[in-house]
This record gives sequence, C-alpha cells and structure tokens, in this order.
Amino acid sequence: MLEVEHLGVGYGDLQVVWDVSFKVPAGSLVAIIGSNGAGKTTTLRALMNLLPALTGSIEFKGESIVGVPTHRIVELGLVLIPESRATFASLSVADNLELGAYTKRARAARSKTLGEVYDVFPRLAERKSQLAGTLSGGERQMLAIGKSLMALPEMLVLDEPSMGLAPIIVEDTFNEIKGIRDRGVSVLMVEQHIEATLELVDYAYVLELGQVVIEGSSTELMTDQRVREAYLSLQ
Amino acid sequence: MFRRSLVWWLLVVAAAVVFGLMTQSERVLTLAIQTFIFGALASSWNILGGFAGQVSLGHAAFFGIGALVTRELWLDGRPLAVAVAIALVATAVAASVVGVPMLRLRGIYFAVGTLALGVGVWLTAGNLWPGISSLPVDALRGYEFTGPYFMALGVVTVTVALSIWLRRSKMGLGMMAVREDEEAAAATGVNALAYKMMAFVISAVLAALAGAAFAYFSVSYYPQFPFSVVWTFEAITVVFVGGVGTIIGPLVGAAFFVTGRDVLSSTFPELQVIAFGVLFILVVLVLPGGFVEGGERLHERISRRRTSQHQQATPDATPDATARESVKMEGKEKV
Amino acid sequence: MTQLVVQSALSGLLVGGMYGLVALGLALAFGVLNVLNVAHGELVMIGGYAAFFLFSEVGVDPLLSLPLVFVILFIFGMGLYQLLFRFIVRFDIETRIKNSLLISFGLVLILQAVAVFLFTGDDRTIVTGYSSNALVIGIVRIPWIRLAGLLLAVVAAFSLEWLLNRTTFGHSIRATSEDWSLAALTGIDVRRVYMIAFAISAALAGLAGSMVSLGYSVSPSIGLSWTLKALIVIVFAGLGSMRGIVVAGMLLGLIEGLSSVWVGNAYRGVVALVVFLLVLSVRPQGLFGRGSGAHV
Repeated sequence: MLEVEHLGVGYGDLQVVWDVSFKVPAGSLVAIIGSNGAGKTTTLRALMNLLPALTGSIEFKGESIVGVPTHRIVELGLVLIPESRATFASLSVADNLELGAYTKRARAARSKTLGEVYDVFPRLAERKSQLAGTLSGGERQMLAIGKSLMALPEMLVLDEPSMGLAPIIVEDTFNEIKGIRDRGVSVLMVEQHIEATLELVDYAYVLELGQVVIEGSSTELMTDQRVREAYLSLQ
Repeated sequence: MFRRSLVWWLLVVAAAVVFGLMTQSERVLTLAIQTFIFGALASSWNILGGFAGQVSLGHAAFFGIGALVTRELWLDGRPLAVAVAIALVATAVAASVVGVPMLRLRGIYFAVGTLALGVGVWLTAGNLWPGISSLPVDALRGYEFTGPYFMALGVVTVTVALSIWLRRSKMGLGMMAVREDEEAAAATGVNALAYKMMAFVISAVLAALAGAAFAYFSVSYYPQFPFSVVWTFEAITVVFVGGVGTIIGPLVGAAFFVTGRDVLSSTFPELQVIAFGVLFILVVLVLPGGFVEGGERLHERISRRRTSQHQQATPDATPDATARESVKMEGKEKV
Repeated sequence: MTQLVVQSALSGLLVGGMYGLVALGLALAFGVLNVLNVAHGELVMIGGYAAFFLFSEVGVDPLLSLPLVFVILFIFGMGLYQLLFRFIVRFDIETRIKNSLLISFGLVLILQAVAVFLFTGDDRTIVTGYSSNALVIGIVRIPWIRLAGLLLAVVAAFSLEWLLNRTTFGHSIRATSEDWSLAALTGIDVRRVYMIAFAISAALAGLAGSMVSLGYSVSPSIGLSWTLKALIVIVFAGLGSMRGIVVAGMLLGLIEGLSSVWVGNAYRGVVALVVFLLVLSVRPQGLFGRGSGAHV
C-alpha cells in the first residue's frame, strides 16, 4: 500500500531523516519504533507533505505522492493522526467528526460513517455538542481516531497513539487500532511504547537518529538481542 | 573580531565626515541627511522591536516630541544643544511614565495600544500647535546644510554606537532573552519588565534625538508632521527591509528607502510612488529576511560554493513550517 | 443641550457601525490567515469609488449596487491573495505578520497613488434623491443613508456568524485559523480557504466603502484612518470575538460622539483613544475577548 524508499527530510539547514525505507503492505499493521529525536514525527510529516522530502520516493497505492498537496493525499485515502493537537479544540465533537469527512469521497457517506463512529465510540455520542477542548485526554484520542475514520481512510497512520494516556486507555486504543486493521484499513503506527507495540503489530522498523537500524517481523524483533537490550531493558 | 568591525565603523564615519565637508551638491546632502535621520529613527525602533522583540506602533510619538521640544526651544532663542538636551530629558520622562502601563500588554495588544497612544499624541499635537513652524527669515537666507549634516551624522553615529554596545552588553542579552521567550526568561530570573522598560526608554530617547535632527534640518513644516504614524510605518519597514535585529540592517534599509524614492522620483515623476510600492513589494517577496540576510546568504553561497541548503516548498504545496516553527512545535504559535 | 447630546451620541453610533464593519473584514483576514493587511482601508476606499462610479456613470443606486461591489471587491481580494499574500503564508505566524505588514504597506502606496491618478484627490459623495431624508424621532434626526450603514454592519456580522458557525465551509475556515496543518490533514484545501477568507475580507471592506461614499465621503487618502480605526476596534473588542466587533465599533463611535459635545471635534478622537487605553489596561483581553489577553 505504502512504499517509502531512501527518504531524506530536513528543516532548513538541519537534516533529521537520512535514507529511511519502509513498506506497509495492504491490510497489515506496521510499526516504526524509536526513542525521542529519532525522526519518527518528521518522517510522518514528510509522508503527508507537511514537510518537503529532500530525497527519496514515497508511493501510495503505486503512485508517487511526493509534492502532492496534503489535502489531496487525504483524498487518496492516506490519513495521519498527529501526536498531539489532533482535534480542533474550538469546535464541538460533532463538528470535528463532520469536518473529518471533508473530502468529496467521504462526504458522500458522511451520515452513515457518523452513525458507525458513534456506535464504536458511544462516549462521543454522549458528548456530541461539547467542545473538543474540554474533553479528557482519552476522549480526545477517541475523537481523533473517530475523526480520521470519517475520512474513510484506506491507510491510517498514527503518531504515538499512546502518548500521555493512562495504561488502561492505551490498551483500549491498541485494541481499537487492531479492530481498524481487521476492518481492512492498513495501519502504520509510530511508537515509543515498544513492548506493547511489538505484541500488536505484524512488522516493525527501528529508527535511530534518522535511519532505520533494524527491521523485521514482531516475533523476530522481540527475540532480537539488540532490541531486547536497547529497547526492552532486558538481557 | 570586534576590534576589526569597530575599525570598519570608524572608517565609515570618517568617510562620512570627509564626504560632508567635500560635497557641494544640495541634493546629495539632503539625501544623506534624510538617510541619517531615517537610519537613526529605524535603529532606535530596532532596539525595542528587534532586540527586545516588542513591536511598537507608536514610535513616532517620541520622534515628534524630540522634534517639537527642540524646535520650539531653539526657535525661541535657546542654544541648540540645550534645546536638544531638554527634549531628550522630556522624552525620557514621558517614555518612563507611558512605558509602565504599555509594557503590561503584549504582542498585538501592545502594538495596537502603542498605536492608539501615537495617534492620540499626533491628534493632540495638531490641535495645540496648528500653525506651521518656519525658520525665521534671516536663518532661511543663510541656510547651510553643513550644520544639519553633521548633527544628523552625529545622531546616527551615537545611535549605532549605542546599538552596538547594547547588543554586546548584559542589558542587551536580557532584552534578547525576553524577545525569544518571555516566560522562559522570567523563569530563569530575568526581570522581563525591567529589560523591556530599558529598551522602551532608550529607544524613545534615541527616536527623540532623531527628531531633534529633523527639527534642525527642516526649513518649515507643521509641528504635527513628525508625529504622524507614517513615520512609524516607514521606520518599521526600513528596519525589516534592511534586516531586523541587526545593526547595519536599519542603515541599509534607510539608504535603500531614501535613495530609492529619490531615484524613482526623477525617473518616473508621475508614477514614482507606484513604482516605489512595486519595488518595495518585490524586495519583500524576494528577500523576506531583509537585505542583511540576503547578503549573508549570498556570501555563504559564494564562499562555500555549494547549492543552497535552504529548502523552499513549491508554490503549490500546502503551507509548510519553517525551521523555527517546527522545532518549537508545542510552543506558543497562535496569537 | 439634551438634543445635542442625544444627536451626537446617535451620530457616533452610526459611524461606529461603519468602524465595526471595516474591522470585521480586517479581523477575518487576521484571524484566519494571520495576515496583517494595513491596506485594508484602501480596499474600503476602492469600494467607495466603485459604488460612486456605478452610480454616477451607470446610474445604479448605491444600495442596489451593494452585491455588485461585494463581487468586485471579492474578485479583487482573490487577485491580491494570488498575486501577493499567497507567497507569505508558507512562513510561520510571526514572519507572516511581519511580511504581510510590509507587503500591504507597499500596497497602500500603490493603491493610494493609483487612486489619485485615476480619480484626483477630490472628495466624492454619492448624492441620491433620498440622501437628505431622515428618520425623525422626537428631537433626533437619523439620516437614512447612515442608518443603512449601521444596519448593513449588523447584517454582515450576523451573516458572518452564520457562515462560520453553521456551514461546513465556515467550519473549515475556523479549523484552518485554529490549526492549519491539522486542517490540511483533515483534507481541507488550506490555500483555498485562505484565498476565500481574504476575498471575503476585501468584499466586506468594499461594502463598508459603498456606505461610506453614500453617507460620508470618499477620497484617495481615507484609507489609513479607517485601517487605524479598525485595528483599534479589533483589539477593543478582543481577539477571537467576531460578534463583539460591531458592538465595539459602535461603542467607540458612541464615545467619540458624546465626547465631542464637551471637548469639541478636535479632541473627540483623543478622548476615545484614552478610553480605549484605559479599558485595555483594566481588561487586556478586550471587552469581549476570551483568554488572558496578553497581560503580564
């Protein structure tokens, strides 16, 4: 579904990502793992063309999306949920969800999708008219996911979905992500919460200082010595 | 390194002195004086706006006070130096009084608050001194450019020297810390209000000094004129076009502004203002960081001889963040 | 005396409505694009001339030509965006404000000079058959043409409110002004939103200009004072409050009007500014603003 090769991204003079390559096959759940400053968020922003890609290629569904305006990429079916500020605080829950279906394709099915989202997240239905800015962290996460689903994504990208959430909510969130994949949406997630992530995903890439250092299926990585020492604090 | 640039500055001043003594052309002298006055006014704004990061839209009020007090006292018979001294003291007092309530405001509130102040002072000046202020007849007959030239040169030299000193001083560091992030500075023990006040008062007094030079140079004008908000806007544009926060920026900008307008007025007498507006816009679009940054980039390009490191989004790509915004991702962006 | 006071107060309210209408447009541009267009007053001036010439050359009544002026300035605004402001929206907010200030300053010079060139520096006022008619209530006289201006301001404010709160497009505008990168990630064409918001801002200025040339007068140099007034009204109302802008404008006009009774025309402006500064020192977030304002 998504193929990234030799991606390089920078901010002005500062290059943050060097030669990153990864693939997300259709229907799979892939993770990019790394600690802070590894370049995870930068990679995702370049994916969506919020930052220009200096080098490399990005292909979604076989077509290059380098330089394509962000809103067009969303229309094509690739949706990113950013790490923080993923909802519009000054708009209500309902308005956020409706806005999520902004693209032509999504708008046609808007009311149907909205009903489905409310079914999956009844808490959002309860708080329909509440301003998103007044929601709790977990509720806002729910709204972010619901909003992204409104866009009828073919592939969903999540930037640190567990960030700032209580462990039990993280569990729910991860289950929800699994559910999304099971419904046919490819998923790419970027995470620091390595152990739980590896248990969830099919395949993972480890990113360090802007480069992919290890990659493999989740079972491979869980048993990989380097990964265990560096990231799982185990011997 | 500093010694070297100091030598350069001294050479420039010396050259200006020699230039003033040698040149006979009234037009050239006028342009030079205007450049000095604009340069001084712009540099004074730069201290508050560039170093301390507080954008004041009422700057002309102090330029006007400096001009008014100097002019009135001088035409009344006082020696120029005395008139100027009193004008500076008056401005320092006024700025100290006004600064306290004003500096409690920030960002656009500060900008519009100072704007309101500036406009209010302008209106009041127009009401209290409606009649034109002209040099007496004998002064007119014997009008020489030398005096105003050297006064203007002196004023801009003092202003630039003070800017240079400030930039390297503890006070300047404090101001710049406040500019970068006021909360963070306060958290590390920097008295933000004190530094802002210092910048405010210093910048006001220097503006008044420029005003004094204006008063001495101008043959006749309405006392309300130097209070006009247009002076503020022009000073600000000069600073940004030249390069905000730098020392030479305001000077380069002033030179461009004054000579540009003059050249255009002789080339396109009918449409000079339009031509200047167009030229101005082009400069802003091509050199968003100002002349100084443009010069630095050119210098980098020549000396390192490699393709530009600076990535720009293609015009059709969605708006993207520059380094500063992205790096301070969680920061205070929205006004 | 009472008659003078009430009449002055009312005149102030009426012109204050115009302050509000002009401020509304400027606030939209600033709120959504973070672009400070100091040439906004010049757009008012252009609207005024458009209405004037539609009346004097084509014979269209200025009230009827309002939609036409709206469209003309809307298109002009789109043009200005595509030609100029489009290039600065790629920067961060601080740089945007700075560069838009500079660019619009150049625009002020150009537009004013072109206006002088085309129309001469004379004052123009549209004089219609009903220009001298007024609504008389007791001791006060309310000129219809100025009342129309106030009504237009109120209608514009409500329409803008409706657009921003009740339509999907309006939501996309609000979303873009809150967080443009998230808006882009939501599938919103941010560039298009910017262009349309700017065009609406220009169109509102044009409407104000129409009413100014009908109820007051227009000349090439009126731009700057309208821009200054608009800036003050916006801060007076408080950032983030569209609703309060027309109210704040009327309030400012009212204060000017009332003070003219005691300090005369010369100082009415000064009194209003002093009151503005006093309010700001006590309530830095403006009359209706939310949040802390920018208070230390």
